Amino acid sequence: MSESLKIARSCRHYAMCKIDFLGSGVCTSGLDKHYVSFYPQGRMILYEGLAENKIPVTEKSIEIAASCNLCGKCDFQCYFITELRPTKVMKSLKEFISLHLQSGSEVVHSKEDPILNEIRSIVGEEWASNDASILYSYSHDLSPISSPKMPDYVVLPNSREEISELVKLFNRHNIRYTVRGNGSNLLGFAINNGVILDLNRMKTIEFDEKRWFVKTGPGVTAFELQKEAQKRGFRINAGEPAAMICSNIMGSGVMSSFSTTYGINADNYVDAEFVSDDGSIFNINDIDSPNLYAYKNLNHSKSPGICTSANIRLHPVTKDESGILIPFSSLEKAVNFVSDCSLRHIGIAISILGTEYISNFLAPTKKSAEEIKMIFKEKLKIPFLVHLIGDSYALTAIKHMGVTFIDQKLLTALYLGSPSLNSASWLNLVSELSEDEPYAYLRLKHIAELVETALEPSPELLATTVDPDLRPFYEKLYSRAEMTDMVWLTEFRILSTRIGRRKGFLPILIYLPVDYALIKEITDQYISIAKELQIEHEFGFITPIDHGKRCIYEFDYFFDHTDLSEIERIRTAAAKANHLIDEYSVKNGTVRGHPYVLYQGFSRKENLLYS
Amino acid sequence: MNSLLKNGYNLIIPGRGKNAETLEQRIYKLLKWFGISDYSNRLKIIEADYSKPLLGLSPALFKVTCSLTDSVIHCASDTCFSESKRDKVLQFNVDQLSGILELASAAQVKSFSYISTAYAAGLNGQICKEQLSSAKEFVNAYEESKALAEKVITDHCKRYSIPLTIIRPTIVYGDSFTGRTLRFNAFYYPIRSLLNIRDIYLNDIRNHGAQKSAKQGIYLDKDGYLFLPLHFFLPKKGSINLIPVNYFVEVTQKIFERPGNGGIFHVCNGNPPNLDQLSDYIKDFLKIKGIEIIYGEPLNTGLLNPVEELFERFIEPYRPYLSDDRIFDKTNTDFIAGEIQAPEMSYQIFSRCMNYGIDVNWGDNIFKYGN
Repeated sequence: MSESLKIARSCRHYAMCKIDFLGSGVCTSGLDKHYVSFYPQGRMILYEGLAENKIPVTEKSIEIAASCNLCGKCDFQCYFITELRPTKVMKSLKEFISLHLQSGSEVVHSKEDPILNEIRSIVGEEWASNDASILYSYSHDLSPISSPKMPDYVVLPNSREEISELVKLFNRHNIRYTVRGNGSNLLGFAINNGVILDLNRMKTIEFDEKRWFVKTGPGVTAFELQKEAQKRGFRINAGEPAAMICSNIMGSGVMSSFSTTYGINADNYVDAEFVSDDGSIFNINDIDSPNLYAYKNLNHSKSPGICTSANIRLHPVTKDESGILIPFSSLEKAVNFVSDCSLRHIGIAISILGTEYISNFLAPTKKSAEEIKMIFKEKLKIPFLVHLIGDSYALTAIKHMGVTFIDQKLLTALYLGSPSLNSASWLNLVSELSEDEPYAYLRLKHIAELVETALEPSPELLATTVDPDLRPFYEKLYSRAEMTDMVWLTEFRILSTRIGRRKGFLPILIYLPVDYALIKEITDQYISIAKELQIEHEFGFITPIDHGKRCIYEFDYFFDHTDLSEIERIRTAAAKANHLIDEYSVKNGTVRGHPYVLYQGFSRKENLLYS
Repeated sequence: MNSLLKNGYNLIIPGRGKNAETLEQRIYKLLKWFGISDYSNRLKIIEADYSKPLLGLSPALFKVTCSLTDSVIHCASDTCFSESKRDKVLQFNVDQLSGILELASAAQVKSFSYISTAYAAGLNGQICKEQLSSAKEFVNAYEESKALAEKVITDHCKRYSIPLTIIRPTIVYGDSFTGRTLRFNAFYYPIRSLLNIRDIYLNDIRNHGAQKSAKQGIYLDKDGYLFLPLHFFLPKKGSINLIPVNYFVEVTQKIFERPGNGGIFHVCNGNPPNLDQLSDYIKDFLKIKGIEIIYGEPLNTGLLNPVEELFERFIEPYRPYLSDDRIFDKTNTDFIAGEIQAPEMSYQIFSRCMNYGIDVNWGDNIFKYGN
């Protein structure tokens, strides 16, 4: 297999190439054309389809290939998350098309289609397509639990009125349609036959600061909205950076470490507007609207309609916020601690992270992530860390609780000095120092200074771990303070998709009480399923919510999405895990499986968790 | 173990695996390190659990073990000094004696030897006699647990008329001839700490412009010595009672083989070095200057510089032993092995031991390359 095809097949479909999360710019043709196909992700998918003869060369193939100017921005973005280099694929795509044309081979033209014409009469000529090269980019994602499905049309509306007209048209012709944000749900929610409605063009953002909300179009991503909120001194509770807010709420409800304080589901918005499945428009707060605040457990719901805007709540921010990482030698201790913090309202954002998350957050490459994971686990004896964002009063309270922690200064030193950690002979002494008192070294007043001297952290040092031609970019990138700042990184979550860097991952998400015994019981069974099916697995995170009454718990299964036998096994594992959760949901009454939140993400958290 | 095997004894070793290694694997690794190859017919290794009755052995295996046992030498110990681990230390060192004592009495052994510590004497006056401690105060949980253990074992052996020998070594370091040792704590710890601190600043000076070092007044002088301003506080002048492991083994072997039964024996240095002397060795070995020992109350930790703060943290558990004014009476030991005395801690012995530690990366490489 050629290197380009290998890279193309490895695309994680996280859509990170569609947002400017590194400040290095975004693919120009993507911003111009909006179809996924014109972004690096789409070109990777297209190249895979063409090289493997899954689709023919079409008119759009040529346009898509030509639209890439080989600027290399996608290399910065994709390498940061996955270590992949898409530019190679872009070049190969151009070569493929060029050779195809030179050889005089057929170029397939889209068929005349009266329905397409009708669609185009609503959205405009260029915003609907039945070209196979466009359709293919929307036909699959990494989800092991869904199968690829080639749509018949991809349509990009620009207003709720257009959506309303489209829905009426689809109903007239009995055409199935599926709404797509950025397709980063990885669970196959945006894959279907019929029409894919891509809402990327609908990027309105209107702030109403007096009423503490921002009205957001369905094409706005979490990253984009958070950036705008931050400019004005606010924060929103946002999901994955490339996820579109409205789709995110619909698909899974918004959740993050900030859910400790900001809540989940209906806590995050003031109102939302929908086009219903008959084409009519309603607002959630209208008396006669469907009751989207309700939640039905163990129920796979039907979509209530297409969310065309949401009024997302704004939260105030104080200038003295900072992040800390508190090490714990066991999950039980970490769970008890976060429970205590959330009961006492200490901290704005709290999560328990395992070494898989932490090592991937800190390390620019897979290799360095493995090294850091080993260091945390075996040398520093830190299997779990509680990540907490708080104001100065909260951090004072944490100090009084008697725990030791890694503050921002120390984290920056560790982050930028991480390439030196593996060869640091003094680490053995540090771990011996902790034999009598766990993490005693963190009590040293000058620990950050000592670590700085020992590791000589710098953007240049961190850059030594990446591909040589990217080093100047990384040096510049990491000279920006926010790239190691815990508050910024937690708000914008640009590191979280690195969890799928080594292999694709399937998150198993549940809501349950902050009860270690129950968490352990369920975790042991997740592990048992994974071992039985020989699947890699890791603890993901736990975030307490609703004053510590419940928590969000993610456990991750990993799989190679190019390996059919692993896909089979992960499907079985997912089914077993979901069945297990359903059993607990019924017998225990306090566990809620996340898959049922699909289309119920607008519900009240009380209904989701306690009804 | 090495000495006993070389002297023709047959050994039964009840113990447990550790860190995914079985007991057998651990023992074989040790024997290889000692250079012993021909032992299989004189060594019996038994996976045992000291927290359980009959050492966790089946009644049949326990009976067989008893039938094969003439004498017991008990040397297992939890050496943690931390007050936070008090319960764990007492449990291991005292509560879990019951199994081995049960075996000793069931086997009707001819003798029971217990490797204790001279510091079981506790804080009870300057002269520490070779008798059970009556101290009420101890430096740490470890010392206290060993004193308690001695009493428990003494009571048991008295009840079953088993001659009891208690061996009380002071601080054991490497072989004075070869430097070899398996553990790098206690005596080695302050030097390891300083060496790592030194290397951190040398790296900064040589490779990174020396700015961080300069901020703390650390620099390389014209003789190539690193000036490292470090005030080290000790409550009073005293000594650190060090004995090399070869001395400990030789004397202990003699005690085991003596005619007559029982007794308490201090295996210690009659002329222990003081910290001023060791400090000079450290300076020459590590090529550092600026270390100053100050006798009296320590500075408020908030006023310590980063190097001082780190060093204080490293040596805190060992501080009481660095200026010890206790004198360990060794009349009993001299009676048996008076012709053998602990060598004076010379710079040669010191540097030999430290160089060995460096060569094996303080234990990390000790089994990798058969060092």
